[in-house]
Amino acid sequence: MSGPLFQLTIILFLIGLGWLAGSRAEKLHLARLERREKNNGLFLVSQLKNYPAYVDGNLPPRLIVAETVVASDYFKTFLAGLRRLFGGEVRSFQSLLSRARRESTQRVVEQARALGYNAICNLRVESADVGGSTGSKKGAAMVAIIASATAYQCHFPNA
Amino acid sequence: MIVTNTETIAGYQISEMKGLVQGNTVRAKHAGRDIAAGLKNLVGGELSGYTELLTESRRQALERMLAQAEQLGANAVVNVRFTTSAVTSGAAELYAYGTAVIAHPVA
Repeated sequence: MSGPLFQLTIILFLIGLGWLAGSRAEKLHLARLERREKNNGLFLVSQLKNYPAYVDGNLPPRLIVAETVVASDYFKTFLAGLRRLFGGEVRSFQSLLSRARRESTQRVVEQARALGYNAICNLRVESADVGGSTGSKKGAAMVAIIASATAYQCHFPNA
Repeated sequence: MIVTNTETIAGYQISEMKGLVQGNTVRAKHAGRDIAAGLKNLVGGELSGYTELLTESRRQALERMLAQAEQLGANAVVNVRFTTSAVTSGAAELYAYGTAVIAHPVA
């Protein structure tokens, strides 16, 4: 019950678990993001430094920040390990990054909406370092994204 | 106190610059959170423990920055930026900095 065969079984089990649970988590997350982005469709998001379509309201502009940390799963980490042998695009991690970015952006939008704003400008999306494991060679990737923006009230010409 | 990450504040006139204000913090989660994060790395999904860690750090760094701005007699901070660095595993440094100013609403 020990030795290389046992270890191989464990690794295969973890890959299978990562594949099942990871792809399920990703699918659910993407569906959730899709729904929220649609829901927030009428919210003006820009990364301009001035305030497009600004309208004088009773709310002063305000900084909004949101952060998200998303974990990789064992399957993705394994795929990335294989990719490192052959080189090329690491698709499994690319989707991880885009999920974290979209999530952070939606959180900023939702916070701003809850405070009564209808636009954000100067959106900055940056990756953050949590505990160094983002750069570690041991695999276990996680992605931390901080999004910040200034919320204000804008005028929609056709609304 | 008005805080923005833009250089100007719409609807306001900046009349006086008070200088750079900054705040930073290094925070860590207890080991249990790190273990939970390790498990989460098998199945994927959001690491809410680390998200919380970042949120707490950001709040604290901003608070410290705002305390400095208050001391300088400013009523707004513009062009706020955040940077992070990893000190050791499980601990994150968050640094917030901006320019303290005095702003008046445009009548």
